[in-house]
Amino acid sequence: MSLFSQGQWPTRIPPHNGLRGIETASQLRDGTSRRGFLKASLAGTAFAASMHQLDILQSPALASELKRQQKHVILIWLAGGASQLETWDPKPGRATGGPFAAIQTNVTGVSISELLPKMSQRMHHSAIIRSLNTKNADHGGAAKIMETGRAVDQGIPCPDLGAMIAHELGRADSQVPDYVSMYSSTEGRRQGGSGFLGGRYAPMFLTEQMIPENTSRLESLSELDHSARSDLRSFLANRFREGRPDLSVDSHNSAYQRVRGIMSSANLFNIELEPMDVRARYGPTQFGEQCLIARRLVEAGVPFVKVARAWWDSHGQNFETHLELVTELDHVLATLIDDLEERGLLEHTLIATFGEFGRTPQINSSLGRDHFASAWSASLHGTGIRGGSVYGKTDADGLKVIDGEVNAADLFATIFQAIGIDYRKEYHVGARPVPITDFGGKPIRDILL
Amino acid sequence: MNPTRVFVIAAAMAPILVWSCVVQAAEIPSPELSISTAIDRLLQESHDRAGIVPARRTDDRSLLRRTTLDLAGRIPTSAEILAYEQDSASERQLRLVDRLMSAADYAIHLRNELDAMLSAGGNSPQEWKDYLLKACEENQPWDETFRELLAPDQNLDDQRGAAHFLKSRLNDLDDLTNDTSSLLLGVSINCAKCHDHPLVEDWKQDHYFGLQAFLAQTYQTRSGRLAEKPPTELNFKTTSGVEKSARLMFLTGATVTAPEDKRTDEQKKADAEMVRNQREKEGLAPPDELEFSPRKEFVKLALDPANRTFMARSIINRTWARLMGRGLVHPVDQMHSGNPSNHPVLLDWLERDFIDHGFDLSRLIRGIVLSDAYARSSQWVYDTPAPPADQFAVAAIKPLTPQQLTVSLIVATMNPEKIPATDFQQSGVDPNIWKSFRTELEKKASGTARLLEYPGENFQISVTEALLFNNAAQIQNNYLKSSDERLVSFLSNQWKTQQTQEDLHARSMDSLIQTTFEIVFTRRAEEDEVSMFRNYLLERNERLPEAFQQMLWAMITSPEFRFNY
Repeated sequence: MSLFSQGQWPTRIPPHNGLRGIETASQLRDGTSRRGFLKASLAGTAFAASMHQLDILQSPALASELKRQQKHVILIWLAGGASQLETWDPKPGRATGGPFAAIQTNVTGVSISELLPKMSQRMHHSAIIRSLNTKNADHGGAAKIMETGRAVDQGIPCPDLGAMIAHELGRADSQVPDYVSMYSSTEGRRQGGSGFLGGRYAPMFLTEQMIPENTSRLESLSELDHSARSDLRSFLANRFREGRPDLSVDSHNSAYQRVRGIMSSANLFNIELEPMDVRARYGPTQFGEQCLIARRLVEAGVPFVKVARAWWDSHGQNFETHLELVTELDHVLATLIDDLEERGLLEHTLIATFGEFGRTPQINSSLGRDHFASAWSASLHGTGIRGGSVYGKTDADGLKVIDGEVNAADLFATIFQAIGIDYRKEYHVGARPVPITDFGGKPIRDILL
Repeated sequence: MNPTRVFVIAAAMAPILVWSCVVQAAEIPSPELSISTAIDRLLQESHDRAGIVPARRTDDRSLLRRTTLDLAGRIPTSAEILAYEQDSASERQLRLVDRLMSAADYAIHLRNELDAMLSAGGNSPQEWKDYLLKACEENQPWDETFRELLAPDQNLDDQRGAAHFLKSRLNDLDDLTNDTSSLLLGVSINCAKCHDHPLVEDWKQDHYFGLQAFLAQTYQTRSGRLAEKPPTELNFKTTSGVEKSARLMFLTGATVTAPEDKRTDEQKKADAEMVRNQREKEGLAPPDELEFSPRKEFVKLALDPANRTFMARSIINRTWARLMGRGLVHPVDQMHSGNPSNHPVLLDWLERDFIDHGFDLSRLIRGIVLSDAYARSSQWVYDTPAPPADQFAVAAIKPLTPQQLTVSLIVATMNPEKIPATDFQQSGVDPNIWKSFRTELEKKASGTARLLEYPGENFQISVTEALLFNNAAQIQNNYLKSSDERLVSFLSNQWKTQQTQEDLHARSMDSLIQTTFEIVFTRRAEEDEVSMFRNYLLERNERLPEAFQQMLWAMITSPEFRFNY
């Protein structure tokens, strides 16, 4: 891909225009951007009340931005690598099939593992991809591929899926975090990150505790003083900014301006504020509670939430491990889908489940399955996808992809497309174009609406 | 689109045409000039051509702060402000630079910067940090450091630490190849791994694998020693699917031919077994060095007068970028013909000077910080649009590194009476007391520094940092809490001793505000700032220590403190 093809200039917004250093050429060409949208939306005094009266909806570009802003993604990260044979691509009766059967779902012709009975009745909200070949079966390298959607190191730190979606869907003045990542286990923990998109889009990363760090005021400081000293800070900051239009300085100020909003949103992480019957539905497990938090966050407008469930790396005792973990996944995922649907959020929210790779069809001598990246599965649920669809096919034993091979870039392009982000978008890092989807990635049209 | 951009793009599309004109138009100035004179003369020519009037010189206090942050890795102490102002105006900067470069801070800070530049992330081992510190303290010529990073003599205690550069990257040959190329030669060539470089004519797959071939034999023994295994063939596939074997090739296309491998199959097997043992077993004697070491050949080629332009220009450009906020070539890992500098003659001049003077990094640093270009204001107060960043006509605003910020936080919030003296010319002032104090500061700072992000390109401050400063107990306890060691207690005590009569309240409060501004911001407070803080503090007369804490908090969290401007 050439920098100079198709008239795409490496352009950056001049610093005094605001916060963001990275914009796409296409946004600049058609003269719209999130900033334009924000201005337009703020100009309309009764934004929520009478949206139809606003001119912005007459501009297709702005209308589609508006549509995108309501989208959310929950990524359920199956850390360590879940077995496709015990989830979305069972091979009952084959030497590789293991002890579990397949069950018919509520979509004719689609069967999944019997460990997913609840999900089998929710396939109309789901799409399965059975033909991932991501080539790397080493935890670290594979996780990097599946976090960033890029198979080759780009020589610059690249953003992960959450950071890219936070960048695309987050609002500059947001009162809530735009990327929350939960990872309680220590095994396989990786922080992910926003790479060249910058710290503004880095995840709020929760590990030991479920309430984010430093979101409550120290007791020694009164509410009044906390706010009064912030005013002193703003006074000094505004003086300093005179004649110094600088993106980093602006980001410093906007980070401090977001503090009070984030502090007041700390309650979103407190599931004790949920009615008992809702908590009971998700169940008393940590994973269930984290998915309930994810639902609360999405409801409050957070664009991207990652919930990691570990540790699926079942080199031994694969079937016991999966009996436990898949059963839990089935229950929590089904509850999450139902809950989002009842609240009218499922039509705006995409749930994805995958990890760094799948597991070998061959069963080893410890009754385990090992790392396997050449024919594995991912699932998508909710907005933008064609419910009940299955894409790609592995051979009878699940050893290789025989139809519709896709890679991480294709999966990412599909996710982008499902929530209305142009998968062909390019970022510019200095003079260098870096496409949002890795080179060659294309959305899987067959499973998209 | 701004006109400079168009120019740059046009230049990139037709480099030969445009740049040959520019280069012919400007004669390379005499090597006799001082570095700062050459910088200022050549930038001035560039400004004249572009019709740019640069920003005025910044005021002395902010130049003192900027220079101290860049050379000592911290803000100045109040004693240093005094010393600076006692020097005559025309000599201040020169004397400041010489003072700072001879203090312990200089090598510590330069070491930190080199560590951040060369490390693969994470905590680097003490042996490596000590190695870099010694190289900085002795102002070791950069070509020697370059050689030791890539081919350390591990039998020498003081070179062993250098091996960390390679050791920390041995898990991934691609990282090793690209980091070596981008950090030490200024050229990120990993795009050329899978195909000839899409943007740059210069780099082909042959170059990528050629460079990789120099490093592919390097491994680490169980005992933590770098070694090279006997030759193995490195093959790669071109985009057209042709299998090629890599030759040892430098970026310029210069190649070395390895001697023919005459080993029998049995010898090869025995060698492979030896390498396996070295990797896995403890307590073995170090393996024999190869007669033909590809890695040493690489160092020889990279330092050869015909090729050394890469290593020289890379460190010059990175040093310039560190001090001036942006490289003469930007980004700093894209130094190739498709991305020329806006100041090619200046880069040529600096390269010649650097090589002629024995790859002396400190000489280069000194030259840059003594230039007028370095001393410009970071504020653009005119009606016309600010000149583009690559003209260096307005000073850049640089985010402090985690270590710079944290060391500065300690200094800014410390009881000024507890800070040792730095005027070593005075009799009775012992530089060693300062050195151990400064070394202690480094250690104390590392806890908070670890929680902060290292600034890169397009750096943005995260809300996590803002939350930390707002609500973390450790910020309160380490920097703001009342204790004998801290500024807050100093201010409270001053207040108690100063107030004698009711009507003097306002005046003594003003003087405490001025003291605080000097300590934290290295400047005097303006009238509106004084009145703002005076009101704030007097309203909280009953609980002044808390109010002082809040004033101090507002100052250390303001961008004026967070950035080097």
